[in-house]
Amino acid sequence: MNKVFSLIAVLFVLSSCTAVKEYEKEYINDPEMKLSAKTAERYEVTFQVYREAAAGANGGKTGGGCGCN
Amino acid sequence: MKKYLFIFALLSAYQSFAQQKDSTATFKKRVLEATEVDFLISYYKQDGVHSAVSGGMGSEKLTDLASNIVVSMPMSADAILTVDAGLSAYTSASSSNINPFNSSGASGDDDDDDKAGTEPYGTPWLASSGASAQDALASVVINYSHSSDDRNFIWNADVAFSNEYDYTSIGFGGGVAKLFNQKNTELSLKANVYLDQWRPILPTELHEYDKYGSSFLNNGYFSGVTVYDQNGLASNAYLPSQFKDIQSVNRNSYSLSFSFSQILTKKLQLSLFFDVLQQEGLLSTPYHRIYFADKANYYIGQTQYIPVYETTENVGVYRLADDIERLPKSRFKLPIGVRLNYYINETFKLRTYYRYYTDNWGISAHTANIEVPIKLNDNFTVYPMYRYYTQTESKYFAPFETHVSTEKYYTSDYDLSTFSANQYGIGATYVDIFTKAHIWKFGLKNIDFRYNHYDRSDTLSADIVSLAFKFVMDK
Repeated sequence: MNKVFSLIAVLFVLSSCTAVKEYEKEYINDPEMKLSAKTAERYEVTFQVYREAAAGANGGKTGGGCGCN
Repeated sequence: MKKYLFIFALLSAYQSFAQQKDSTATFKKRVLEATEVDFLISYYKQDGVHSAVSGGMGSEKLTDLASNIVVSMPMSADAILTVDAGLSAYTSASSSNINPFNSSGASGDDDDDDKAGTEPYGTPWLASSGASAQDALASVVINYSHSSDDRNFIWNADVAFSNEYDYTSIGFGGGVAKLFNQKNTELSLKANVYLDQWRPILPTELHEYDKYGSSFLNNGYFSGVTVYDQNGLASNAYLPSQFKDIQSVNRNSYSLSFSFSQILTKKLQLSLFFDVLQQEGLLSTPYHRIYFADKANYYIGQTQYIPVYETTENVGVYRLADDIERLPKSRFKLPIGVRLNYYINETFKLRTYYRYYTDNWGISAHTANIEVPIKLNDNFTVYPMYRYYTQTESKYFAPFETHVSTEKYYTSDYDLSTFSANQYGIGATYVDIFTKAHIWKFGLKNIDFRYNHYDRSDTLSADIVSLAFKFVMDK
């Protein structure tokens, strides 16, 4: 439970950082800075889900399909 | 006349109100300016020596060709409808050995039970000509998302369907995302349910045992086929009595995904992902064979290969299964991931990802990923990438012929074993913000190419190449 509270505390601290204004987001808005996986990366994620036991926590699909080939 | 003037005045007032409303709408930036079409294609091939279909030993040769078309359409200034349709076709040496005995097997489809007669043979090291050597997966996902006027609140809903020969999946879900702190912070929550169904295909020998019971050696596929013992002598003693038919064919998956994104500085941002996943139902694969250490061995094929069964020299004999893998009917998974991206300078960026995973089958895993996009000019970026993965084995895993028949759960699927994996590759992106190149009404916005090589410590290796094109419809 302490770990959960620690995580919430860390999130609170992070979100209370000084906000970067819209006009200052030139670097953050660079296409390579996106916080999601790239479109063409989806097939790699699919084979990794098939060949490895771990899955999830990457913003992608979290179920469906047998993954049995 | 007064009546007409009144109606005219009313219409004029309405028109002027409508224009006012429209002009307001004009100033609202649309969530998606124009229809976008992504066309993706990928080729994957792998090889290894731990086929789960052959009980944790044998060829894992597999090729897969997959393609998707993703169409995103603006439904209004605030809403986007995305349709993602995919088709994937694979050939697999491992799957082909569900029926390893060339063309005279009886697995799955009952129609070919009467084809027995010639002495069949097979080997875990080569693909057989069985029908399960290839299959196709078709899938479609439809997603609708809607943003609030200030773009600080987004909700979305999706439905998904996929189908292959022995498996169908239906899924649905939805989520919300809230941005605040001048869009520096984003919190999102997403829930998904997948209701899947197997149409189980059994290994040939177990299919026949399931169908004919203890007299199966004199019926169907086995009628007229000689079974040999470990010494290469004809035997009638093979009886996979441990095997029990599959009762439930459903597999349900429930997931709750939480994510938190934060811009930390002008050049640094991170995302935290936290998923809770619960799976229930038939979580084993019905055609994964098990060979028990405390059971005698029986074969079909050419007896001279029995002494070299576990080597690639075996090109003519296949061992008959004691059972299929058995796994618990529920699995709880807990992955947590973090993505951290840093803008080093105009030329170099740094994209990193780490995930810790644990589940109640005894597996824990670490994943680390790094990617360094290097901008060559306004159009081209290349990015080398590296990924490291390691996991501990499931408490239900044991290698080929090491499980014993008194165990409740067992699998020899090396995807659930202890291993580490290195993946390295290179990608290249071409971007044209002016979309000069055209196909009909669509301008080419970008092309993304990726190649990766994957090495697993249990000798499995794979290569994957992917290509993605993004087109934007002319306004």
